[in-house]
Amino acid sequence: MLEHDVLVIGAGLAGMRAALSAQEMGANVAIVSKVHPVRSHSNAAQGGINAALTDRGDDWNDHAYDTVKGSDYLGDQDAIEIMCSEAGQELINLEHMGVIFNRDDQGLLGTRAFGGQQKARTFFVADFTGQAMLHVLYEQLMKSSIRVYEEWFVLALIIEGGVCCGVTALEIATGRVYVIRAKTVIMCSGGVGRVFEPSTNALIVTGDGIGQAYSSGASLMDMEMIQYHPTTLKGSGVLITEGARGEGAYLLNSEGKRFMETYAPNMMELASRDVVSRAEQTEINEGRGVDGCVYLDLRHLGEDLIRERLTQIVDIGQDFAGVNIINEPIPIRPGMHYIMGGIKTDVNGRTNIPGLYAAGECACISVHGGNRLGANSLLDTVIFGRRSGAHAAGYAKDQEFPEFDVQGYVKGYEQKLKSLADRQKGERWAQIRNDLGKDMDQYFGVYREERGMQILLSRIEDCKKRYETVVLQDRGTIFNTDLIFTLELGFMLDCAETIVKSGIERKESRGAHSRTDYPLRNDKDWLTHVVVSKTDNGPEISHLPVKITKWTPEERKY
Amino acid sequence: MQVIVSVNRFDPEDSKGKYWQDYNLEIGENSTVLDALIKIREEIDGSLAMRCSCRSAICGSCAMRVNGHARLACNTKLVDMTDDAGMIKVEPMTNLPVIKDLVIDQQMFWDKIKQVSPWLQSEGPEPKGEYVASNESMNHLSGVMACIMCGACVSDCSALEVDKNFIGPAALAKAYRFVADPRDSKSVERLGVLNEYSGIWDCTRCYECVEVCPKGVGPMDRIMALREEAISVGYDNTIGARHADAFSDLVEDSGWLDELRLPIKTVGIFNLPALLNFAPVGLRALVKGKMPAIFHHNVPNVENVRKLFKRIRNNQNIDD
Amino acid sequence: MKFAFFPGCVSRGGCPELYPAAKKVCAQLGIELDELQDRGATCTGAGVLQEKNQFLGDVLNARTFAIAEGLGLPIMVICSTCQGVMSQANKRLKTDPNYLAKVNEQLSEEGLEYKGTASPRHLLWVLVEDIGIENLKTYVRRPLSGLRLAPFYGCYIVRPSEDLEFKLYRDREDSLEKVMEALGAEAVDFPGKTRCCGFPILTINEKNSVQMVANHTSSAKELGADALVTPCPLCHLNLDGYQPSAMKQTQQDINIPIIHLPQLVGLAMGFDPKELGLSRHIISTKKVLSKIQVAG
Repeated sequence: MLEHDVLVIGAGLAGMRAALSAQEMGANVAIVSKVHPVRSHSNAAQGGINAALTDRGDDWNDHAYDTVKGSDYLGDQDAIEIMCSEAGQELINLEHMGVIFNRDDQGLLGTRAFGGQQKARTFFVADFTGQAMLHVLYEQLMKSSIRVYEEWFVLALIIEGGVCCGVTALEIATGRVYVIRAKTVIMCSGGVGRVFEPSTNALIVTGDGIGQAYSSGASLMDMEMIQYHPTTLKGSGVLITEGARGEGAYLLNSEGKRFMETYAPNMMELASRDVVSRAEQTEINEGRGVDGCVYLDLRHLGEDLIRERLTQIVDIGQDFAGVNIINEPIPIRPGMHYIMGGIKTDVNGRTNIPGLYAAGECACISVHGGNRLGANSLLDTVIFGRRSGAHAAGYAKDQEFPEFDVQGYVKGYEQKLKSLADRQKGERWAQIRNDLGKDMDQYFGVYREERGMQILLSRIEDCKKRYETVVLQDRGTIFNTDLIFTLELGFMLDCAETIVKSGIERKESRGAHSRTDYPLRNDKDWLTHVVVSKTDNGPEISHLPVKITKWTPEERKY
Repeated sequence: MQVIVSVNRFDPEDSKGKYWQDYNLEIGENSTVLDALIKIREEIDGSLAMRCSCRSAICGSCAMRVNGHARLACNTKLVDMTDDAGMIKVEPMTNLPVIKDLVIDQQMFWDKIKQVSPWLQSEGPEPKGEYVASNESMNHLSGVMACIMCGACVSDCSALEVDKNFIGPAALAKAYRFVADPRDSKSVERLGVLNEYSGIWDCTRCYECVEVCPKGVGPMDRIMALREEAISVGYDNTIGARHADAFSDLVEDSGWLDELRLPIKTVGIFNLPALLNFAPVGLRALVKGKMPAIFHHNVPNVENVRKLFKRIRNNQNIDD
Repeated sequence: MKFAFFPGCVSRGGCPELYPAAKKVCAQLGIELDELQDRGATCTGAGVLQEKNQFLGDVLNARTFAIAEGLGLPIMVICSTCQGVMSQANKRLKTDPNYLAKVNEQLSEEGLEYKGTASPRHLLWVLVEDIGIENLKTYVRRPLSGLRLAPFYGCYIVRPSEDLEFKLYRDREDSLEKVMEALGAEAVDFPGKTRCCGFPILTINEKNSVQMVANHTSSAKELGADALVTPCPLCHLNLDGYQPSAMKQTQQDINIPIIHLPQLVGLAMGFDPKELGLSRHIISTKKVLSKIQVAG
């Protein structure tokens, strides 16, 4: 019988942090991940991690304020206060684990400027901070001997009597179905990137956990808050770090002008991401772009600085855009990047389902509200990963292992998979997934409006119908990736539906949700979270008030 | 452009064994090998199994052999790899067992990484704040921390090809990451372990790992740095260390290599078993007239060479 | 055509058949050689000395480069290992002016200075880049038709490709095959073509080293090669000298001769095999010579 006190789904930064934290509290913990931990998408984060170090003359309240303002006042301020007040210590924890953060002349941790923040408090490792952190956490994981069910795909959460009891999972290498029983499950499965095409996200980011939690009755929140990162490559959607702008890079339109002056005269290129993306999109829409892009110009930074602090993007520019960023500007455009929304949790990671926690990008507490500041995501993962792990471990101490019909679940899923394999007539996953992605990009881009979103909703319905008769091309049991992509598509469709429903519901523009038909922010009616839950009649919308502690919402100018 | 992607396939559920399958496709000029493989699995053959994720050379999933050498599929342009007939050959990495098609079993790779105790081990009480460390040292580490664990170096390693016990370039590069970290206090112990069989001295210095690494980690350069470090902390009695010593001494003495004396100095003049081991080879060489001259002359102006060695040694304060 | 000739240590030590063969071939091609060892040039360090002290190795190579600069002549080598070690040192010296200055500080005592203009090249590259393949064909008196040859480059003349400037000089990558074909032979592609012969770990781990010899020689033989051809005397020492050990270790009969590149060119030019030292190999060359109707 496979069973653990705490079962973490996902081995990215949030997942590994949660597992290490739970183990420290004495829990028997395991991680299940559909890829090897170091393949997790956390490794793509480039720019850095925010923290206010109070002994260096910074104040976490300032960081909190920047975050609240960055969120366009949709962020829950109690959660933001927790994140920002704990950031300093967690940063030191990470350094003690061995992360090779950049240093200043005194050999102390060094910072760079980043978007939406009045003071430089972004700590970094060249331009591959996410990878550097992920690999160090994996080093700690190897040290801990925590069991990892590596390349196991979670098919569904097991909910018995309204309580989360574990998962049913598929061992990809063998095709066998197992149940892993658990007293608590922490969902750290990441975002929904591939629901959009193109996206900066890796191919594995398919919203599995959000979809699974949703199907199990967990509430999702702020799903319409989809972040478009200002600097992504056309076509592939590959990311160019905000760190480039943090080091001083300029954004230029076709006229060679630093157009951010019109939109954010104070912070310029380092305004909040949604502000910059909207600015770029407007320039492109109004004819001041080149081939659907604007330019990111690093030339004035000089070769030495670029080679020391932005090493990865030199390669990215060369390999993926054929551009030498040291002496040419690189064409970029806003690209779908991150979801602020996700599974609703409290500040300890608890969802509305007992025994089910969530942390990282798949969760929504909310600390990012309507827009996430750069370098706050890496912070979010470790702070709330740690808290969820600790809380789940504590909770599990007082629990018995749930009893239920394990074989029933195994056989049930074996039967489902067999039916899928047996189906002869139907469409494969690939075309449905590509159509979904392109439609989401078209109708749920930087700017949205009612008619487009309604069209999108019906297109998603069409895709869902097509999915009902989806057919496999590979019917083998060993490492069947065709099966995995087909299963992922199901979760993607649910995520897409909740995203668009939420987008239609919020009739204002706030943060990353920019509606051309409701272009202004409306605190009177809409200072609230949009929550969506699954019912027998489909997605049901409700609202949840925003927690305001210290900072009254005001006009957001950069 | 038209390409023919020839893939070396293997289905464990089929008794066919390994076979080549050619896929013809039309694809954009700027496409990568990964773009082609994704197009194949989405439009032509969903049974093609491979690992891939980020498409931007950071996750390390898509390492495979293209035209015989390991690389990442996602940053390899098709135009750079196709021959005159527009064909490229794609195979799984070597040295690791194949599960299916391009998917290899990574177990051995990770076992070797774990062998070097790959976590920071610092001594004494943890400081309240961060460990103080120079930016130079952190920048130096970023070169080796850039490793994405893709396995390309392990795939093409010449030493691993003949000896699966060799700990391998990826693990040794990872070991270097700790030896070079000023916060790690276990360098001497780490080097002691790496100094044994299957460690740093079993690398055959062929540069395959340096050539194939997609992130410029230079594993072999790290192994050489570990060798230098091992010798400097006192592990100077391995055959490898003695070999480097002997070589250096002989060049200092005469300006060029005395091949007759080199093996003798390396194993030690009183090391009878080792000397006897050379006998058959030596004898054959003697018979064929391939024995280096017993009288080994110096290069002209050898005094200049000897002075140079001495000067550099003094400048670097090296004990000899 | 005149070169500052750097024959290296092994061609005058453990592979004494190589040095005279190379000289004869160069003379026939009208290449004049000013021999650097007569001018006090040292061993390159072969990567082994660099393990102990890389700076020292770079100084020794910079010294050789400076001596050649003094003669106003480009350097030619006949050993893959010399080529690789020199190219790597040269890259470090050419790309970092501060480092070059440090190195020159050491050379100044002797009155030498490396100005950064050296471009050491192997005879193999000189054949393809300077003599030219079409021109080379005109020297062939005894076409090697019918001969199937497996090219064994030797690691240090193919990696790291960046140090060896493969992108700039596209002919280098398959230079050995080009030369073989120009001489009338057929090049056999085999898995060991650019792999390691095992020489560097011979004293450290003989078993592994000898296994590499066994793998490459036997795979070439299985694919129907009559001989391996190599531009590296260190590879020759292992593939030829340790082939009997390889056969013993793996319990198989291999007996495939290893030919030095200049010996191959010399054979095609019409030289007597004895003049080229082909009777001095451990693994007999009789069979392959008889294939081109020459007594060994």
